[in-house]
Amino acid sequence: MCVRACVISDPSRPAGLRAGSWTALDVVEALGSSLEHPEPRTRARGLQLLGQVLLRCHGALRHAEVTHLVLFFEARLKDHHLVIPAVLHGLHALSLSEALAPGLAVSVLKAIFQEVHVQSLLQLDRHTSLGTDFTFGFIQVMDGEKDPRNLLVAFQIVRDLVLKGYALGPFVEELFEVTSCYFPIDFTPPPNDPHGIQREDLIISLRAVLASTPQFAEFLLPLLIEKMDSELQSAKLDAVQTLSACCAIYGPKELQEFLPSLWASLRREVFQTASEKLEAECLGTLTALAACLSHAVLHADTHDPLDTFLSGVLQDCRHHLCEPDMKLVWPSAKLLQAAASASLRAYHHIAGSVLPLLLEQYNQHPQSSQRRTILEMLLGFLELLQKWGHEEGDETVLLGVRAPLCSVVFSALTDPSVQLQIVGVRALTVLGALPGLLVASDLDLAVDHLTRLVLHEEDPQSSMAAMEAAGTLAPAHPGAFTDHMVRALAQELQTEREDEGTRHQRCLQALAAVSTHPSIVRETVPVLLQHLRHLQRGSEPGDTGKTASLCRSLHRVAVQSQHDPESCSFYHQAVVPCLLGLALQAALQEDALLAPGKALLEEEALTSMVPVISAASTHLSPELAVQSAALIVPLFLDGDVSFLPQNSFPCSFQPFQDGPCLAAQRRLVTLLMAFICSLPRNVPVPQQDRLLRELLALSCACDCPFAATAAAKCFAGLVNKHPEGPQLDEVLQLALNRLEPGLAEGPRRTQALGLLLWVTKALVLRYHPLSSRLTDKVLALLGDAELGPAAAEGLGLLLGDAPDVLHRGCHADVRLMYRQRFFTDNVPRLVQGFHAAHSDVKANYLKGLSHVLNHLPKPVLVTELPTLLPLLLEALSCLDRGVQLSTLRCLQPLLLEAPRALSPHGDTLVTKFLSLTDSPAMAVRIAALRCIHALTSLPAPGLLPYKARVIRALAKPLDDKKRLVRKEAVVARGDWFLLGSPGR
Amino acid sequence: MVGHGPGPALENANPLVFRRSGERPVTAREEDDDLPDAIDDREIFDLIRSINDPEHPLTLEELNVVEQVRVKVNDAESTVAVEFTPTIPHCSMATLIGLSIKVKLIRSLPERFKVDVHITPGTHISEHAVNKQLADKERVAAALENSHLLEVVNQCLSARS
Amino acid sequence: MRAGSASGSGMATLTLSCRLAAHPDSRCWFVAWSPGGALLASCGGDRSVRVWGRQGESWVCRAVLDEGHQRTVRKVAWSLCGNYLASASFDATTCIWKKTPDGFECVTTLEGHENEVKSVAWSPSGSLLATCSRDKSVWIWEVDEEDEYECVSVLNSHTQDVKHVVWHPTQELLASASYDDTVKLYREEEDDWVCCTTLEGHESTVWGLAFDGAGRRLASCSDDRTVRIWSSDEQGEPGVACSSTEPSWKCICTLSGYHTRTIYDVAWCHLTGALATACGDDAIRIFEEEPLAEPQQPTFALMAHVPRAHAQDVNCVAWNPAEPGLLASCSDDGEVAFWKYQRPECC
Repeated sequence: MCVRACVISDPSRPAGLRAGSWTALDVVEALGSSLEHPEPRTRARGLQLLGQVLLRCHGALRHAEVTHLVLFFEARLKDHHLVIPAVLHGLHALSLSEALAPGLAVSVLKAIFQEVHVQSLLQLDRHTSLGTDFTFGFIQVMDGEKDPRNLLVAFQIVRDLVLKGYALGPFVEELFEVTSCYFPIDFTPPPNDPHGIQREDLIISLRAVLASTPQFAEFLLPLLIEKMDSELQSAKLDAVQTLSACCAIYGPKELQEFLPSLWASLRREVFQTASEKLEAECLGTLTALAACLSHAVLHADTHDPLDTFLSGVLQDCRHHLCEPDMKLVWPSAKLLQAAASASLRAYHHIAGSVLPLLLEQYNQHPQSSQRRTILEMLLGFLELLQKWGHEEGDETVLLGVRAPLCSVVFSALTDPSVQLQIVGVRALTVLGALPGLLVASDLDLAVDHLTRLVLHEEDPQSSMAAMEAAGTLAPAHPGAFTDHMVRALAQELQTEREDEGTRHQRCLQALAAVSTHPSIVRETVPVLLQHLRHLQRGSEPGDTGKTASLCRSLHRVAVQSQHDPESCSFYHQAVVPCLLGLALQAALQEDALLAPGKALLEEEALTSMVPVISAASTHLSPELAVQSAALIVPLFLDGDVSFLPQNSFPCSFQPFQDGPCLAAQRRLVTLLMAFICSLPRNVPVPQQDRLLRELLALSCACDCPFAATAAAKCFAGLVNKHPEGPQLDEVLQLALNRLEPGLAEGPRRTQALGLLLWVTKALVLRYHPLSSRLTDKVLALLGDAELGPAAAEGLGLLLGDAPDVLHRGCHADVRLMYRQRFFTDNVPRLVQGFHAAHSDVKANYLKGLSHVLNHLPKPVLVTELPTLLPLLLEALSCLDRGVQLSTLRCLQPLLLEAPRALSPHGDTLVTKFLSLTDSPAMAVRIAALRCIHALTSLPAPGLLPYKARVIRALAKPLDDKKRLVRKEAVVARGDWFLLGSPGR
Repeated sequence: MVGHGPGPALENANPLVFRRSGERPVTAREEDDDLPDAIDDREIFDLIRSINDPEHPLTLEELNVVEQVRVKVNDAESTVAVEFTPTIPHCSMATLIGLSIKVKLIRSLPERFKVDVHITPGTHISEHAVNKQLADKERVAAALENSHLLEVVNQCLSARS
Repeated sequence: MRAGSASGSGMATLTLSCRLAAHPDSRCWFVAWSPGGALLASCGGDRSVRVWGRQGESWVCRAVLDEGHQRTVRKVAWSLCGNYLASASFDATTCIWKKTPDGFECVTTLEGHENEVKSVAWSPSGSLLATCSRDKSVWIWEVDEEDEYECVSVLNSHTQDVKHVVWHPTQELLASASYDDTVKLYREEEDDWVCCTTLEGHESTVWGLAFDGAGRRLASCSDDRTVRIWSSDEQGEPGVACSSTEPSWKCICTLSGYHTRTIYDVAWCHLTGALATACGDDAIRIFEEEPLAEPQQPTFALMAHVPRAHAQDVNCVAWNPAEPGLLASCSDDGEVAFWKYQRPECC
């Protein structure tokens, strides 16, 4: 009886049986008494258990076992009607077994149809039972079925019948008839249908049947053509998708006879349809058709079906390409491209005919707009070639037209129309990437054209496209780009002219863009650094924009070089000392803040250097990192300037010392942060303990917010990577000792709060136990009259991504789920704090909360929404615009993603959003209108009561004085009009 | 107020196509909270250029049915006049297109505006009849209570999926 | 809001006395005074008819009739006895409402028009009702004592949709205005209703019609931005004798140059003779006949002009039949407004 116990306790895991320790007959015997029980209900239960066991392990059954069991169940078919469902379950399970002999299946079906009065059975039993295989009986049972539940099962069974290879014999057509009469599925589930069967389920299920065997082809294809030619959009779509599925299993033989009609229907849809979806499906199906034909085995004596088919396609579409102003030009091009993308052979056929034609057309149409259309089509064909990769794809088609193709592309590059130039640049990019296609002279010319566009084309879009093209092509042809482009750019940087501002700007961007190969990087980096020195020498006060844009270029080169070790170390050694040297030079001048070069010390300039140094350091080899750290840390701690390129300075560098004239030097701590906080975690920081103490002191004691923040961030960056242990504990204790008095009172409470926030962030990220204590301090400060608003903003800092430190890119210790954890730990306290707080400071809590929510992954937020929503709604009534704005921005995506959670609050949301459309702040009005628009994604029935009111209320923002607000109002009102209206 | 729905065959299967203008770039002035931005021709054009043609998978702008030069707005006097050009002189969709333009403008403009939608003179055989229908607000109101017509108009005004 | 206009006989004023959000979130198409002047019925795009009564200085809603129609209610009309209200709707039906102690009850729905019913009017005797529709026809219904309605005539004289019907104040003479730019007059001849006259002259849709108190003149207003005054050539009692010659109507005056958009309605005060217009340029204007002009060549002077009478198109104006100078108006903005018209003191 232990088997029974096992079966009864957990029929889903008959481990013993599956493992082969018991045979199926053992199970039957173990269940014996119940199977023979005089009470039919008990018998039924026993049979049901057996059936469940068999369902789980039919794979393990042996031939003989299946035979025995089938005979056993067949005999049971004569039993009491209460037992029949269980018997059918059992037979169904057995029918799934590989070991069921076809002859046996016949016998089972016969028995079923003889013994069982199908219509008298319950739904559930009827369809599970029909899993057994027999075509004729099945056809009779299925014929005329209307219940979608049964149909779903029936379709599955037919598919199984076909796929398991049972001989369909003379019944192919009849089987097709009983299933195909449901095509296309036209079924709308009743509202509140408990079975949840969707139209789409039936469509997919029926499609799987129809596309299950080539044997159906002769019947199915005419049907599909008929449906494609009907008026019903959904029928067309279904037919096209089914055809596409069929192409995967059909051969040319099945399609042959119907190709002309199929092509005619597909073509007509693409030419005429108003639906982009249908168009896309038709194109995909055309590709599938041509791909299917491409698989044909060629015999010398028979014609090639693919060739015949494609010739027809060409004949119908090719001539439209000669009318680049007319609407059919694009559908034709799309059809040709869809056919060409089926196989390399198809590509050769189509492209061989179309490319020469397009080239000829280009030359015949002098207008830029027409040329652009033609070139865009050409480009489409060129891009297709990339699909096969260089291994397989020979470019013989293109070799034949290489010269005219190049001349067309070059002519586009010199055309006055910017749009045409841009398409030309894209075409050049594709051509240049196909190996061996461009000869050396073409290549030189191409690079010259790109250089010209970069330097002289007035339109920024075009020159930008040329730069990006240069970046893409440079790795394949580094020599050409160094010789022509880099040289020209360097020269241009040295010439001074009236419009040098934008011109230089372009050069800097282009130098960065083209630095995509180590040999080019070696050329461009010195040019960029030289220009930086030049800028610094000549810089006037306030001239920080140029430095910043140069740093952006340097940064881009750094990012592009990171993954090549050679480039990376070259870059680091060339750039980091140079930047530090220049910055020191500026800082160490007497009265640094007035001297020339001071532009480099301004916040914008220093901030723009940070990502350069950081990107130059994150991917360093360990040796170089250690070596570099051993130079840079002493530079800051001891003023050791010996490694800098130009190191004779008028005074010494002591950023951590006290003294009024050292203000400029302290600002450079941000550069130390950029380097030291970007190193991999396993690189030891020399004199770490001393460095940490100095940073801590500076962060709390410095009057300059920029330097204090830099020190706090640097401290936090190091603490985040510091290994656990007494040393870390000691450092943190030091920090706490500094923080507590600093926060309590005195002139530098703001600095203390800054340090608190950064250290808290460092610890929250790594799940350090002390983090909760620090977070408590931040939360407590929300109630502080002076620091409260800053503390609220601080919550945003804690959960947001900092651009320069404490992110994964600079190897910080960031736990995956830290935001969720922070949320779970702290949001209840925030909510509590809000309720307990004095009304003067309540806004701080709401602002803090909305910061937290804005950084939280939406799925987490959605689950927590019910508890938070009351507070969010309250935040909407808060007078603080910042709170309103961040709450609206938090709610807007939720309306789209969690309509169900929000829809019970429709009334409140509508009221509050509408009242905010009156805000004096444009940003709030815009955000409120976006929310009102997002409301339309809630279930329509809940919204209809507000429709008239919202539409009326939105009439006012339509007349807002700001255009950007009106634009949002138009969108929102338009969709509210469509709500519950036909044609939405 | 419109004769019949789209038939199986297109009247003009291969019309000329035109490039779309890009999004209007946002200016610094527009981002300034305090400075008012007048409603100008481009703003009106932006409202109607993306209306879908009832027959083609193209917008009215792509078919050149609407052009910015044929849009005239006077913000101070609260008047808007739009002329549209059917793709062919016997286009049976002209009324429907005009209705879509009118409805879009009525839904999108402050209520103080008087909106006139006309066919570009000389571009349609039933120019007078279509103009008269579009100017009759009673017929427009009744058309929008006809669910079939409303559906077609709404489709013209919906963002294409 | 006050407005006046200089004219030969001095300054007249039209002063706003009350404004109601009668059909909020919708447009108000039409208003009609009950014969005694105590109640005002309004109807609109919200598919309802509302009845308003005076309470002190203001007006309050006495009844909302929102169960009768599936679509916009375009016009309403009171029977001469004041006990019945008829409403014409875009849903192709006309409802007859009977006044009961608790309000109004729909007693009959008249069906037959193919599509939107645009207007409805009761004959002065109270035994006839006229309706007109976009289906280009005008129907005349006969009412018996049991409130049974029978269609006695379908008049297909217009070639386009019929916008408005109005009865002569004393006779069974019916006038209709149409999208075909004409006005037509009908009378019964030998048990059959026929179109007896067509008034041509307007250059676009005729939207509204109004007889003067004596029934000798008819004013029509149009999309062509003019008001025309038509006069019957018969002196004394027109058309009383069963003469075989029809009295002929001709245009004796055209008010042009005053209105800047479509004129949707015109109302002729039977107490004062003042003529009010409702215009798509949001304005209400009052005209009066210059006293010294020839009766067959009258001239009308603009006495008062309220440029922004409503925030949107003015759809209808109606003079109170009992209180001289009390004017009601309604607009696409959904509001109903009440105005007081006062002539210059010197008159």
